[in-house]
This record gives sequence, C-alpha cells and structure tokens, in this order.
Amino acid sequence: MSDRIVGVLLALFAGWYSWEAGSYAVDFGDPMGPAFFPELLAPPLGLLGLYLVLRPDPEPEWSTGRYLLSQAATVVVLVAYALLLQPMGFILATLLMVTCLTAMLGARLPQALGGGAATSLGAFALFDWLLGIPLPPGIAFGG
Amino acid sequence: MDIIPSLANGFAVAAQPMNLLVAFIGCFVGTVIGALPGIGPVNGIAILIPLAFSLDLSPVSALILLTSVYYGSMFGGRIASILLNIPGDSSAVVTCIDGFPMAKKGRAADALAISAISSFFGGTLATVGLTVLAPSLAMAAIHFGPREYFALYVMAIIIVGGIATGNPAKTLVAGLLGLVIGTVGIDPATGIPRFTFGAYELYEGIDFVIVAIGLFAISEFLIYIEQRRTGPVEQVPVGRRTTALRRLTYPATSLRASLLGFVIGVLPGAGATLASFMGYALEKRVSDKENTFGKGDPRGVAAPEAADNAAAGGSLVPMLTLGVPGSGTTAIMLGMLVTLNVQPGPLLFQQQPDIVWGLVAALYVSNIILLILNIPLVGIFAKLLSVPPHYLMPGVVTVSFLGVYSVNQNSFDLLMMVGFGVFGYLLRKMSIPLVPVVLGIILGTPMEQSLRRALAASGGDVWTLFQSPLALGLHAVTAIIVAIAILRESRRRIGEAAATRGA
Repeated sequence: MSDRIVGVLLALFAGWYSWEAGSYAVDFGDPMGPAFFPELLAPPLGLLGLYLVLRPDPEPEWSTGRYLLSQAATVVVLVAYALLLQPMGFILATLLMVTCLTAMLGARLPQALGGGAATSLGAFALFDWLLGIPLPPGIAFGG
Repeated sequence: MDIIPSLANGFAVAAQPMNLLVAFIGCFVGTVIGALPGIGPVNGIAILIPLAFSLDLSPVSALILLTSVYYGSMFGGRIASILLNIPGDSSAVVTCIDGFPMAKKGRAADALAISAISSFFGGTLATVGLTVLAPSLAMAAIHFGPREYFALYVMAIIIVGGIATGNPAKTLVAGLLGLVIGTVGIDPATGIPRFTFGAYELYEGIDFVIVAIGLFAISEFLIYIEQRRTGPVEQVPVGRRTTALRRLTYPATSLRASLLGFVIGVLPGAGATLASFMGYALEKRVSDKENTFGKGDPRGVAAPEAADNAAAGGSLVPMLTLGVPGSGTTAIMLGMLVTLNVQPGPLLFQQQPDIVWGLVAALYVSNIILLILNIPLVGIFAKLLSVPPHYLMPGVVTVSFLGVYSVNQNSFDLLMMVGFGVFGYLLRKMSIPLVPVVLGIILGTPMEQSLRRALAASGGDVWTLFQSPLALGLHAVTAIIVAIAILRESRRRIGEAAATRGA
C-alpha cells in the first residue's frame, strides 16, 4: 500500500513539475532553454510512479507504538533545536537537545544532563575555541 | 606525462606541515568513524565537509583530509567487527565471520594486527594502481566531448546508485528525484530562477551538504531509535599478540584480494562492500582446504580487509580522472571539490597537477600513518567502543547541526536538513536507495550543461547524443545493465508469486 501511495504522489508531482517547468520558457538564447531538462525528467518519473502503483513491493514494517512516538518526539526536538540555536545560543540549546535525546534513548535524567553538558561544552571548546568556527554564543554568555 | 617527477612534486606538497597535520587528523577521525557502528564513511565524510569549508583549507588540504578520513574509515571498520561481532560499517560485515571467532579464541590482538597489515597492503597497492592508471586514463578522457560526458553521467547515476541490488524502478526513482532536487535554483545559462517559490534562500540551489547530512546522518538517527539494542554488548578484550608481527602478514592472500578489490573499486557501481564480500569468497575458494574458514582463519580476516581498502583507493580513479564518482563517498568528495572551484577530470591533471599529485602522495603517507595508528594504538579505539551509543548518537547529531550551521549561519538550512532527514528515513524504509539521490543532486548541473551544450552544437537534434561511437557504447552498457536488472527483478517477482500460491 505504501508503494502505491508513493507512486500516486510521484505521478502527481511529475505532472506539476513538468507544468511548472513549462512556465520558464524564454524566447532568446539557447534553443533548449531552462525548461528543457526538467521537462525531460518529468515523464520517466511519472511513469515509474505509475509502475509502483501497479506493481508495489511488499509492505515495509513501519514503526509503531512507543518507537513511532519517540521518533516523532525526536523530530520535534530537532526542529526546536534548529529554531532555538541562534536566539538561545549554542551551549544552552545543545545542552537541552542532547539531554532530551539521551534521556529518550534510555539514560537516567542526571546521566543525560551530564552527557548534554559534556557534549555541548566539549563541542563548543573544540569547534569555537580551538578550530575558530563561530558558533552563536546567545544569551547564556552575554552575546 | 612522467610519473616519477610528478610524484616527487606531489611528495613535496604532501610533506608541507599543514598537509601532514591534516592527513594525521583525517586518519585518526576516519578510524574513529569506521570503528563506531552507526557512523559509516558516507555520513562521516558528509558531516566533515562543512568543517573543511569553514576552516578555509586549500583544495588540496581539504581533499587530503577527506581521503584520509575515507581510508581511515576502511581501517577502522574492522575493530568493531573483531571485538564486538558488530560491523563498524557495511564493508566490514565479512570481517566478522573469521575475526570474531579469532577474538573469542584469545587472539583479538592478532586479528587486529593481521587486518591492519592487510588493510595497509590493500590501500598501498591501490594507491600504486592509482598512480599508474590515473594519468593514462586522464589522457584518454581528454577527447571526451559533452555527448560522452552526458552518457557517463547517466551511467553513473543509474549504475553507481546500486541498480544491481534491489528494485530497479526504485533506483531510477531515486536518481530522478536527485536530479529534480538539483534543478532548484537559478538556471546558470539564462539566470531564470527555477522552483524557488520566491524564497531567496533557494536561489543558489539546495546545497548538497545539507541534503547529504540530512539524508544520511539524521535518518540514521531515526533508524537507530527503531533498532535500539537492549542491554550492553559484550566486548572481547584486546589482549596481547601471540606471535611476531612478521608472522601475521599474509602476502599472497593480501595480493589476491587487493588486486580484485582495486578492479572492483575502479568499476562504477560496485564499492568497498561488494569488494570485501568477493575478496572473502575468492580467498575461501583458493585456500579453504581444511574447512577452517568461519572458525577464525586468519586469512579470512586478511582477505576482506585488503579488498575493501583497495576498492576505496580504486574508486578514486574515476572521480579524479573523469570527474565521475565511482561510489557514494567519492560522489560527496566530488561535490566538495566543485564547491571549492576545482573541477576534477582530465584537465585537472594538466592545470592543477599539485592537487592531483599532492593527493596521491598524501595517500601513501596516510597509509603509513594508519598502520602506525592501528597497530600499537589500537587499544584507544577499542576503548571508544565501550562508550554507550546513547551518549554518542546525540553527539553525532550535534556535529551535523554544527556543520550545516557553519555554511550559511541560518536556521532555514537546519530546518531543511531535518526535513531531508525525515525524507531519507522514509526512503530507507521503502527501500529506495539514498546514494542515487545524492549523485543526482551533485551531477545534475554538469549533466544538464553537457546536454544543452551537445544539443546547442547540433541545433537541437536529439540523435546527436548517440552519434559518437564512445557515447553510444556507454549508453549501450547502461542499457544492458538496466535490462539485466529488470530481468532479474521480474524473475524474483515470478518466484515470489509462485511461493505465495504454494503457501
């Protein structure tokens, strides 16, 4: 079933992609123009999508229950980390992110906090101080 | 082109203190990446690329860093195989078969030494092969025009991505998706923005580093959550060597396996993993007279390690001489070189010999560094394996974010990386391979350019693509391989259908 759904999505996407590419036509310069290559890619993509609809592979084992839950939580943590990295600063944001992930993977909270502190301070020392890659200091260290 | 003076110049480049330092760091980091299960060479190298950019390394130093990491990860993969019976990366799977039984018998230190020596043998032999073969291949490739290059790119995306394994339709879908992602951004020929939806962050295209780190490293984390191991894994202690180092070299085995591995590495579509399997199979056929393979035969440890290191060296040949990568890892290196304004290919040998020969010389040096790191100092790496993964994996995520952040310093890139991580996870679950996606993104722009150049020269006649014998030959090879894959797939489906009816 998953393959069939993906096949339909691919076919629809290929149609939209080709239609969108058609709007890039220009009447000067090289004969192929910016639309040519995308228009070349769309038909095989659409056909392969239809093939997957007709001849799907056996259903993969999707994760369920608490595994699915912790995967969803991981994605939420990562998105939050991406958004908070600049305003909060590297050290604090990383401390929170690593602590959350480590705790979720089965460590006790004090251990997870230790891991978070070690990772964030260690990475900051190594990359910002030693290698000179600027990381956002953020509120924790007064900007 | 004279090889000896060029190589001598190369050694002068490689001996610069900066390059020696970079090679040493690369070897060390590479061994760590290889040793830790869960970080393979592809995502390890992807994570390191943005760091190489932000350190402002020269192209030759950056290339030395990444190839040392690549060679190092081939050395490191065996450590976990031997001590934990868990391969450090996919090319070290076979090393478990005889490596772990050897360790169980108290010969762990011997097994580690044997595999380090044969890895050194394979890596060095491949570097010699690269030295000899690359210049002549580059000379031949100088006559390639846009048509031939277009044919080569098509071949690389289809074959390298692994059409030989799995459902060929899904491999093709993956390659096409990569090419589609590659079309996002301003069209270099006309300056028209394509598929950007007005988001100026997308005008320069989607950086392959973001895609590669998302697809490989972030998706690996999501997979890890699902396959989480319960309870600690038992680790065999390293112990002491039981015999002299001299008696732990297996020259005949290493030579056979290295030659095979190098050839497999040079050919597109088969990487270090296949090389290690075939190297083991060959050695078993030749030497397994007393049925000792699988029970801790040292030759079963030496053969796959020599083969996969030789294949890693071999896969650099097409990348450097043609600008067409022979594996996922070399594809990512190619992407980095292009970002640094270095275009690999035949002209590179003429215009920037310092880069090519500096790299080749540095590979000899790296092999020696790796041998030193991996025999007396192997205990340090073994210690690392006892760090529980729930501390390690979030650390890998941190370094991934840090690398992507250092490219443009914005959260848009980070969000895109997480998005590609989820996308990569879904692709992996549906057994759609990831390597063709990355290849498509990296090769998309040069592929489109060579296509448009070829068609512009012929006034838009599509048949021009097939009117050169070499291009036609390349297309024919691609077509045959695709046909074989389709045939095999349909036979598999028929077999499955019969099995379900029977049951």
